[in-house]
Amino acid sequence: MSASREADSAGHRLASGGPAPRVHGDRRGWTRGVLGLALVLPPLLVLAFLVILPAISAVVTTLTPAADAVPAAPLANYAEVLGTRILRTGIVFTVIVTLVAVAAVFCLSYPLALYLRFVRTRMAALLGVLFMVPLFVPVVIASFAMITFLVGHGLVSTVLYHLGIERFPRLVYNATGIVLTEVWVSIPFAVLILGAGLQAIDDALIDSARDVGAGPLRTFLAIILPLNAAPTMITLTLLFIAIFGSFTIPYLVGGNAPQMLGVTMTSYLTQYLRRTESATLAVIAFMIASVVGVVYVASVSRRERAAP
Amino acid sequence: MMTSRKPGIRAVCAALGLALIAFVIGAAGPGAAQSPITLNVYINGDTNIFDLWNKTLLPAFTKRYPQYRANFVPLLHGDGSQGVLDKILAAKQAHKPTDVDLWETDPTYVTQGAPNGLWVKLTTQLIPNLSRVPTDKLRATDYYSMPYRGSSVVIAYNTAFVKTPPKTLDDLLAWIKANPGKFTYCDPNTGGSGQAFMVAVVYKFAPMAQYTGGAPYDPAKEAAWDPAWQMLKSLEPAMYNNGFHPNGNVAVLQLLAQQNVYIAPVWSDMGTDYLKRGLLPKTVKLEQITPPLFGGDSTVTAPAGSTHLEGTFTLLNWLLTSEAQQMVITAVSGYPGVDWKYMPAGVRQQFADVAKPYAPLPDSKYFADMKRLWHERVAGGG
Repeated sequence: MSASREADSAGHRLASGGPAPRVHGDRRGWTRGVLGLALVLPPLLVLAFLVILPAISAVVTTLTPAADAVPAAPLANYAEVLGTRILRTGIVFTVIVTLVAVAAVFCLSYPLALYLRFVRTRMAALLGVLFMVPLFVPVVIASFAMITFLVGHGLVSTVLYHLGIERFPRLVYNATGIVLTEVWVSIPFAVLILGAGLQAIDDALIDSARDVGAGPLRTFLAIILPLNAAPTMITLTLLFIAIFGSFTIPYLVGGNAPQMLGVTMTSYLTQYLRRTESATLAVIAFMIASVVGVVYVASVSRRERAAP
Repeated sequence: MMTSRKPGIRAVCAALGLALIAFVIGAAGPGAAQSPITLNVYINGDTNIFDLWNKTLLPAFTKRYPQYRANFVPLLHGDGSQGVLDKILAAKQAHKPTDVDLWETDPTYVTQGAPNGLWVKLTTQLIPNLSRVPTDKLRATDYYSMPYRGSSVVIAYNTAFVKTPPKTLDDLLAWIKANPGKFTYCDPNTGGSGQAFMVAVVYKFAPMAQYTGGAPYDPAKEAAWDPAWQMLKSLEPAMYNNGFHPNGNVAVLQLLAQQNVYIAPVWSDMGTDYLKRGLLPKTVKLEQITPPLFGGDSTVTAPAGSTHLEGTFTLLNWLLTSEAQQMVITAVSGYPGVDWKYMPAGVRQQFADVAKPYAPLPDSKYFADMKRLWHERVAGGG
């Protein structure tokens, strides 16, 4: 823990130029500046030409009404998309499924992260390895595994049946299936980020809280939760964006309707040959995701400011 | 000074130019003749078609003609076809060669590209075996593409549960309502077998001639589809699992195999193949209903901008040989591209129940709208 902080401050020293002689400092700084720019340029160009420019052209497309549109208003495409009932339902469905999945992942991951941080037993070490497994399973395989696990004659149904429960809601090819699969796939990621935040909390703080008589719940609420607020927000926002934009899981595990936006956009582009509607949906999805993105940026910058 | 300098520069340029030419010839000449030519083969289809090309046809072709290598480019369910067409068109407009040497695609893309001169018009001079293909099949795309296999969607029914199989579409619709939960078709976005059922119901209410064979596109004509959507919507409660449509042709076959459904539309080739491999119960039979579900020949097209046309023609000609046609039938149980008379009697017998006329596919824009409206009106429930 303290070692990593040392490494960090060493990095800061390096970045600020260190105690190099002033005379050569300028020239060195210039070379370093060029080198830095050269290193940054390739990803920057990729970002500009493969992400930003196409995104701008997509936004322009969506603001250009079709030639035969009766009200030639710039927002005609948006009005049409939002006026289509199945698309409206799709947007709401996507947001709800995402929120439920994020909440479920969070509720399952936080206790696991706490357990892995504060319990030092063989069992905890074993669990620490086990929970990582989904991270190494490709999403397609995970989806098919969940299907065989959850379908009519699958393991879950069989177990429920033997427990005497004969009537239960369908577990796959609907929102339930999407949420369950997203949760299974996302837990390791959430535990990793939450765990990293928990690692940064000084043991001394927890020990002293305990010394003055705080119970585990009090310690959690008064020390751990506030100190881990930024990583928590980052986990929530990253989870939201990842699940909101997912394609494979809703495509394979979801139902016919309503569908999540990733699947709908693909259908509009490749099946219905409606590029504009697809782009309009993409812009709407981007706007929803960017609201969450603002929260992410705010959390990250708060953490940066908080760092010494 | 100036005049004496110019020839000098020219000489240097000429020398450099010659050196460059010599270098290019040296690089492309003898060296290239020895290394095999790689043909980029773009294939639309489901995974069974990918296996057919990747594991059977292309290895056999490159073994027979070792001067060629094949680079296989799969386009699953035809995704990305518009992009391939755009790419070939862009190359043509830029007067550049295209890297697509052979493309298996839907007739709609062939028709779209034909006015721009994107394809080679196929003749028996270029491909001698073309004489074995019935001319009406070649005329369908104006000789711009060559059928090498065919299939149609048919009805698969399980004789253990269905004693008298429906013979007509109306019989089938009545059977579905009378036997709730025992029929389904795949989401039309995910497989042709589901599309065929949807299209058959649309054709029942709206004359198919208005939407097929290059009819002009007019969205207003789609109002005639309303009764079809109502009919399909009314079938939803009688579908397997209260209106669940699986993803893809294979998922439907699996439901048939698990005896979760007793009747379902399936591709003739996939159904025959599943029966042959024992993946469907022996009690499952295939039959075509009247009016028939759609089907078509899968055709391959030679882009005119390809730089390896000789190789493409060699491959096309080989595809029509008895050797290759036999592989198609063995591997995917397709109908042959060549006339049935060139196939052995045993093969003709095997396909007697299903090798009947089939309905045409709707034109691409109508087809795209049908799939969208199915989602809005049938699955989406609006």
